[in-house]
Amino acid sequence: MVAAIKQPGWIRGALGALLAAAFGVGLVVILRDISGLPIWQTEQTGYPHVVVPLITAPLGFLAGFGCFDYWLRWAAGMPTIPEDHSQHGAKSWKDYFRFNTDHKVIGIQYVVTTFCFFFIGGLMAMMIRAELAQPGAQIVEASTFNGLFSTHAVLMIFVFVIPVFAGLANYVLPLMIGAPDMAFPRLNALSFWMLPLAGLMFIGSFLAPGGAFDAGWTGYAPLSTGAPLGQSFFNLGVQFAGASSIATALNFLVTIITMRAPGMTFWRMPLLVWANLSTSLLVVAATPFIAGAQFMVLFDRVLGTQFFQFAGGGDVISYQHIFWFYSHPAVYIMMLPGFGIISEVISTHARKPIFGYRLMALALIGIVVLSYTVWAHHMFVAGMSSWLRVPMMFTTLLIAVPTGIKIFSWLGTLYFGKIHTYSTAMLFALAFIVTFTIGGISGVMLGMVPIDIHVSDTYFIVAHIHFVLFGGSVFTIFAGVYHWFPKMTGRMYDEKLGRVHFWGTLLGTWGTFIPMHWVGMDGMPRRVSDYAVQFGDWNLLISCFAFILGACQLVFLYNMIVSWRFGPRAGGNPWRANSIEWQVSSPPPIFNFDEIPRVVGGPYEYGVPGAKHAIMSGEGAEVSQPQPTTVGSS
Amino acid sequence: MESATVAMGGHAHEEHHGPPEAHQSSRIDRQTLGIFLFIVSEIMLFGAFFASYFFLRVVVDPPTWPPEPFELPVAIAGVNTAILVSSSFTIHYALESIRRNNRTGLKLGLVLTWLLGATFLFIQINEYVNIGFSARDLGFGSIFYGLTGLHGAHVFIGLLLLSFATIRAFRGHFGPEEKDHLGVEVPGIYWHFVDVMWIIVYTAVYIL
Amino acid sequence: MIGRLPIAKMFAATILLTVVISAVMVPINWDGEQASTAAPKIDTLLDVMIVLSAFVFSLVMVMLFYALWKFKVKPGDETDGEPIHGNTRLEVAWTLIPTVIVLFGAGYSWAVLSDIEKTDENRLTVDVFSQQFAWSFGYPEQGNAWSEGELHVPVDRQVEFKLHAQDVLHSFWVPEWRIKMDNVPGITTTAIVTPDKVGTYQLICTELCGFGHATMRATVVVEPPAEFREWTAAQKLTVPAPLMESIKQDSEVNPIPVGSGGA
Ligand code: HEA
Ligand code: HEA
Ligand code: CUA
Ligand SMILES: [Cu+2]
Repeated sequence: MVAAIKQPGWIRGALGALLAAAFGVGLVVILRDISGLPIWQTEQTGYPHVVVPLITAPLGFLAGFGCFDYWLRWAAGMPTIPEDHSQHGAKSWKDYFRFNTDHKVIGIQYVVTTFCFFFIGGLMAMMIRAELAQPGAQIVEASTFNGLFSTHAVLMIFVFVIPVFAGLANYVLPLMIGAPDMAFPRLNALSFWMLPLAGLMFIGSFLAPGGAFDAGWTGYAPLSTGAPLGQSFFNLGVQFAGASSIATALNFLVTIITMRAPGMTFWRMPLLVWANLSTSLLVVAATPFIAGAQFMVLFDRVLGTQFFQFAGGGDVISYQHIFWFYSHPAVYIMMLPGFGIISEVISTHARKPIFGYRLMALALIGIVVLSYTVWAHHMFVAGMSSWLRVPMMFTTLLIAVPTGIKIFSWLGTLYFGKIHTYSTAMLFALAFIVTFTIGGISGVMLGMVPIDIHVSDTYFIVAHIHFVLFGGSVFTIFAGVYHWFPKMTGRMYDEKLGRVHFWGTLLGTWGTFIPMHWVGMDGMPRRVSDYAVQFGDWNLLISCFAFILGACQLVFLYNMIVSWRFGPRAGGNPWRANSIEWQVSSPPPIFNFDEIPRVVGGPYEYGVPGAKHAIMSGEGAEVSQPQPTTVGSS
Repeated sequence: MESATVAMGGHAHEEHHGPPEAHQSSRIDRQTLGIFLFIVSEIMLFGAFFASYFFLRVVVDPPTWPPEPFELPVAIAGVNTAILVSSSFTIHYALESIRRNNRTGLKLGLVLTWLLGATFLFIQINEYVNIGFSARDLGFGSIFYGLTGLHGAHVFIGLLLLSFATIRAFRGHFGPEEKDHLGVEVPGIYWHFVDVMWIIVYTAVYIL
Repeated sequence: MIGRLPIAKMFAATILLTVVISAVMVPINWDGEQASTAAPKIDTLLDVMIVLSAFVFSLVMVMLFYALWKFKVKPGDETDGEPIHGNTRLEVAWTLIPTVIVLFGAGYSWAVLSDIEKTDENRLTVDVFSQQFAWSFGYPEQGNAWSEGELHVPVDRQVEFKLHAQDVLHSFWVPEWRIKMDNVPGITTTAIVTPDKVGTYQLICTELCGFGHATMRATVVVEPPAEFREWTAAQKLTVPAPLMESIKQDSEVNPIPVGSGGA
């Protein structure tokens, strides 16, 4: 027992959480006592004796779990023990439940954890659809309903889509650029472990008095500043998810900039690496804005500040400006890594170099820059200064241009290729092009102020959201998971089940989300638990398709679990791909490489006679004629 | 450069017990780049509060700033500014000292920086106690405490990092080699950022 | 390389598909009944965008399915595709064409926006008060008459709604008018509408405002001016003093949006 308490791990973690929580409560009691305030404050928004422990307890857990051990020893100037790599790599499944610094272990931890949250968020979506299947109240009350869709969206966005991309990239990106690990392995592990804490906080809000946070995922003030305690869980969960995502982004940037293999120039990086480079730029510079916004809401709630209280000289609309200055870039944080995945999958399975590689990379950077200039398109009807609308409309619509470049270049990649569609990954990639185009086009319509004035805050928006987020981001996630499943697990998944999942998901997505456009334009607002009778039939249809969609995800779950355990062994390179991660065994050796590979050409040189992307250890002897990074006209 | 690294990693026949050394593909080292990127995100966090400042002051446009009965101790805060700014010089002195392998200078510089920083925080807390308004008093009070408090928290973190460096300095760590005193240089960069940020906060909150 | 593709046929297929999609979609009245002068303008904009979108979508579909049909691998073929890395002319084309389309769309939208927000001299002003979870309406020009849950306006006369919120954000939406604007606590926002069809409609709150959000509705009656005058005269209540006071301090951050959107 004593040994267990000294060892970093779950027991010490739990103890740390308890101690830190007690410390937090104590701090509140003492401070309030000194300032002569009543010790317990339980007005619906206050609860400092819950809010403060919500900050300290997770930190206590992380400390107990071992996230800070090495750093503390370093900080105290103690003799740093020579690296024994005991925290690196996984020898049994138990190692996935430890503080582990191996980027491959962390990658799998990320993907599995985030998919858990996907299924929980998806279950909430099922409850939403059950409630909406008929007009009138079905299974939940109106306020519970508001909590459901808020938590649904928050789980999907903050602890599924954003981090699952970080997880996939965590696994493959260091391999792709020929790095033995990420630049800061311990920070990487810490980033991961903050994530389940954030997710639990979001879900835990259902237990708070007054119920889960129910001001939508956007948490607009002053609804959020006056909401019951659950809202504070959201304010704080976002801080942990945000810190996690900033730390990972920083880690990616440093890794990409300083740890590329010799010969891996920027113009030889696979597009997935480019995509994560641009995403990380967005995260590092935008995520602090949501941290700031949620801190201010929290202060308004707990400390009684006036940031968004009009009666106290605050400014209501400033919340939306600060929030969307993050959250618009956030939608590209949720899309750009997916673009990277699609580039890898399409080029591999069409056996062709990416069409217009450099323009593809530049388009990513273009989207990054433009995305900081469009936030107010979410506020066309918010009552903000009206002169802002037209300039923001122009910038918003211009984003279609770099995005279009990407779509057309993927299509161009298919031409004169050898398109293999036996892989579910490729099916999802092709379907992504279609669904995302639809979602993007509805986005362009939203960008036009007169149209948006009519459809803003209706089901048309819900349709747009899910076409870009489900038909866009989630399709790319599925493509990525299927594509790298053999690499991560060393086994093949079942293509037949993959096809069932694919066709079911495609049908489900279209069936669920296309009619939403119609009911939205026709007058059904979003975020309602009840609606006019005239929309009843459409909603019933939507709900039926949503259940099909949900059921298909169970096929995916089954396929992944069973194939991971029993699937046939996959070779190192089942797709005959060029990039470096496929040149090592599946799963890769603990330290990735015996020797850092040497990059001698572009990553997509399919069909170029004698071309080679990288020379791995062992084959180093033969001399390589330097390959020009062939881009431009053919 | 490239061939050198390949040669370095070229003991293919020896047993590997750890990962191969990563190829250093940029002149900047990881820690320094890391802290610069971290500072970028910190600037944006301040940016969120400055955005709020802009709305509360320019958009809401209260008749006076600071609002009527309240006054800001511009002079005392000015002295405090001088204290914080001078700590930028002492940390620089510490870094220069270790570059020339002057360990006494390193320790002296670090301790002085730490003391100056702590004095700054002490004076600021005193200011909070005596200032006569709270964070609940209008948008003005909220953003005053918001900006100075956020900055104060950063001074606190900076002090924490500096104490690590100080402890290590007294325990005989660090050396004149560039890679041997990153533990001073990196917190130092952060400290400079905290200083510069204060000048901006001071200008915006007290002077303008 | 392009030379080896049946460009003319592909283009024809794209146009054909565009025409088919447009022919199906344009006649449908997506936005529902039109009851204001702005509605047909917005719906026309939508139709134009549907045609342009149909073109973009058809282009993508034709390109995708032609490639899938033509370049799908033969069973057993393990070779790679042709090493084509790009084509400057194509890349320029698919940068420029979308740019032109969206710039056209933005310019057209701008024109529509300034058109629908033009203000008339003799417009009627109506105050709209919102709070969790009810609407009420003040008629300053009709002796400050006040009505709860029911909004009356005369037909064919421009109305300037002054939107107020007492507690949290709400949003003023009458789908048949195609107009929507948030009610923001602390400021007065404005919506400009010219109802041109007599009838009864629904006012829907579209900004999440709490558990009663879904049911925060009001009836909207558009009637001939004479009936409107009678109805307002018959209203016994006037806007309660506290309500009047509370909106006095509101800043008009968002004065009449005209000229801002427009020329
Ligand atoms: C992955 C996430 C994602 C992505 C990628 C996008 C992409 C886009 N979005 Fe979307 N959006 C959301 C997620 C996303 N959005 C969410 C979650 C909300 C709701 C938030 C809330 O309120 O809860 C939202 C809301 C939203 C609004 C606010 C609506 C409102 O509340 O009133 C607007 C308005 O302009 C908008 C516009 C756009 C545009 C112009 C794009 C563009 O980037 C799309 C570009 C892509 C294409 C256009 C397709 C491919 C291009 C071509 C084939 C070239 C040719 C095309 C043309 C010439 C048209 N989005
Ligand atoms: C990545 C983001 C993401 C994803 C993947 C989804 C996925 C889904 N979403 Fe969601 N959604 C959002 C992001 C997302 N959503 C956002 C941002 C909002 C706005 C919230 C706001 O207004 O604040 C929203 C809001 C939203 C609404 C509107 C609520 C309202 O405004 O009143 C609806 C309604 O139908 C909905 C439905 C669905 C459905 C059916 C799915 C499906 O695709 C889910 C499919 C997955 C599963 C079902 C899980 C797997 C299955 C099981 C766990 C087994 C159970 C199965 C059965 C019972 C059959 N979502
Ligand atoms: Cu009022 Cu929604
Ligand atoms: Cu946006």
